[in-house]
Formats: sequence, C-alpha cells, structure tokens
Amino acid sequence: MTARTLAWTGFLAVAAFVLLVAGRLAALDPVENLTLTLTSPVQRILHDATTPIANWVNDVTDASGLSAENKRLRADNERLMTELARAREDAVQLRKLQDATGIKQQFPNDTFVAASVVARDSSNARRMVAISRGRSDGVKDGMIVVTEGHSLVGTVTKTFDGYAWVTLITDPTSAVSAMVQSSRAEGVVAGNYGGSLNMEFVGQGAAVQDGDFVITSGIGGGYPPGIVIGRVSAVATAGQDLFQKVKVDHLASLDKLEQVLVLTSFLPKTFAQP
Amino acid sequence: MRYWVGGLIAFVLALVQASSVQQFHILGVIPNLLLVLLTAWLVVRGLDDVLPMIGVAGISLGLIGLQAPGLVLLALLPLAGLGVIRELRVVHSDFLLFLVLVAAATVLYESVMVLGVMLAGGGHDLVAAFTRDMVPATVVNVAIAPPVYLVMRLARPDPRGRRLSY
Repeated sequence: MTARTLAWTGFLAVAAFVLLVAGRLAALDPVENLTLTLTSPVQRILHDATTPIANWVNDVTDASGLSAENKRLRADNERLMTELARAREDAVQLRKLQDATGIKQQFPNDTFVAASVVARDSSNARRMVAISRGRSDGVKDGMIVVTEGHSLVGTVTKTFDGYAWVTLITDPTSAVSAMVQSSRAEGVVAGNYGGSLNMEFVGQGAAVQDGDFVITSGIGGGYPPGIVIGRVSAVATAGQDLFQKVKVDHLASLDKLEQVLVLTSFLPKTFAQP
Repeated sequence: MRYWVGGLIAFVLALVQASSVQQFHILGVIPNLLLVLLTAWLVVRGLDDVLPMIGVAGISLGLIGLQAPGLVLLALLPLAGLGVIRELRVVHSDFLLFLVLVAAATVLYESVMVLGVMLAGGGHDLVAAFTRDMVPATVVNVAIAPPVYLVMRLARPDPRGRRLSY
C-alpha cells in the first residue's frame, strides 16, 4: 500500500466520521434538501424508464410467490365482497344511531396533505421514502402517513422545506402500538429486516388467528387509534415462550408506493412525567 | 484516470443505484450495482483509482438514496482493505478474486448498515439480518458480478487488459 493510498484511506475514514457526526447534528439538512431538489427530476426520469424492466424481473424472479398471492387474493376478494355488503348495512345503522344519540365520529375534522413519493431508500437494511411535501406544506416530524386507502404507511421522521422523509412501518427501527381488531389483543407491530412485520408482546392467552386485521391501538399517543396496519398471516405459539410469534402482512404495497396522504391534523402526544 | 472523471462516474452510478436499481427486488433484496462496479474497478484498475470514487459514491448515495452519507461511506470503506488483498496476489485468477471480493465487500457493507440500524435503536434480530439481508444480498451481488466484470475488462484502456483471465 503506497503512502498516497494510505493518505486517501485515512482521509475517507475521517470524512466518514465527520459526516456521521454532522448528520446527527442535522448539519447536512440543507445539503440533503438541495440534493433532493436538484436530483429528484432526474431520479423520476430514471425511475420511470426502468420501471417496466424492474417489474418484469421482479415478476420472473418471484413467479411462485405471485401464484400463491393470486390464489390468496381470489379468496380474499370473495370474503371481502361479503364483508363489504355487511359493513355498508352496519354503517347505515351506525349513522342512524349516531344521529339519534348525538355521538360524534372519532376524527370528524381529519385533514390530509397528498404527496408523491419522489425517492426511496436504496439500502436493504432500511425502509424509507422521500415525499414531495415538507415544512412549507405544514408537514411536521412525527406526522402519520397513510395510503389513499387509509392503511398505515409510516411516520414523518425528517422534514425539509419542500420534502420530508417517511420511515415506513417495515423499517427495523419502527414500532407501532397495535391491537388485533377482533379480539382486541394488544401488542407492538415492529418492522424487521427484509421488509417484514412482526406483532410482538402478544400474550400466550390472547386470541389471534390468521386473517385477523391489525389496527393501531393509540396507546402511547404516537398514532391515532383505528388505522389499519395489516392482517395476521401466521401465528406460532410455543409452550415455553411468554409471547406468541405473530407475523403481519401490511395491506399497503410499500415497495411500490407512488402517492400517500400525510395526516396533518394529528401530532404525536408527548406525556410529561407525573 | 483523472479524479474528476472518476468522481463523475461515481456520482452517476450512485444516481442510477438510487433511482433505477432500487426498484429491483431479487430474493427480497436490492442488488448493489454500485458496490459491484466499484469492486470491479478495484480489481481491474487498482486501489489508487478507486479510492476517490469510493468517497464520491458514498456521499452521493447517502444524499440521493435517503441514507446517512457518513454511514454509506463507512460501509464502502472496507473496499480499501480488500484492495490490499488484490495487491498481495494471493489468487492468480482475477475473475475468481473479483467474485470473492464482491462477496466479502457485500457482507462487510451490509454488516455496517445493520450496525447503523442497531445503533439507531432497532433491528436487534440478528438471525433475520443474516438470513433476510446479508445472505441474499451476497448471492444477488455475486450473481450480477460476471457481466459487470466483463464490461470492465473490455472497457479497460490498456489493450493487454482486454484479454479475459480466468
């Protein structure tokens, strides 16, 4: 190794640590904002140009997964159509009851800001996206992001003037207080490597079944209650374990997000020590 | 090679990685074309050529690809250490050496990224990190490596270097 090589290596190592510290101190925010502003149009062009090829490659390399998914979706479609009809009838009855008793809806004044996904985290370890709305649009750190169908996408974790970073629920650092809709069994839905979701801290006695819907519980104040996260896809119980192992499939197609909604009327609550 | 040319190439590679390559999910992971190309550059053209590119690529990918630039740079830095293995000439075949270096660079890169996640307070499931991240990422990167090596060999300015060695 020559002296020049050693000097370059040392310089890069020092630069890496300086950048890590600068990133922690948010000193790189203006540079990140400027980079996103300048490169997002080019990124969009490159992204759109390669999307057909990527879709084809992804389909070919996941042919067995597609077949299984298709079978499951057909079964889901039949069941959901039945549930939809039942839910419509329930909604009519509920509205009549609300009118009669004067009970207000849970979030009557929800406001959303629509945003496009302009960039995605390109690493395998993290799951983040950048959206086209930022501080100037009223987006703040901690705000909740949902799909157009109102299933949970993630949380705004960094805001710039015209952009914001959203940490997806599948990110390994994400944890959401959740409950199983049917049995009200509570737990925490945490992201894991590979983009999977696990519901943790679900007690052995709790009733959890494949296909159950998992929603936010609202405990902790980080998320409003009642937002759909996903559906239970596998439950494993072992006698010696304190908790069940619950796998959750997210409803939103998080790898192919294009449009999202930022819930601007809700900010996470911070609780003061008593 | 002039530094600015290498820097420009590294920036474009980072842009392509963040915009186009990130759409591909093979075995559940995104191929790291940038890392494979830098490793090919290292094997074909040497460590002195690739070091400035590592700097630009790491910072660019961090800024464009929604990652911490310092962490990406740190994850790419083991390439410098792997370059020393190349200089030692312990493996006669450049191609075989390249495949081994791609595998090693991927494991080291993903390890640093997983460490970054753990320091951020999440992802303590090391079995999942190994089985769903490191192993598939290594397999996918090694799988895309041969055509990248071929292109790098053919693009080498020295005509003698265009002979493929096995």
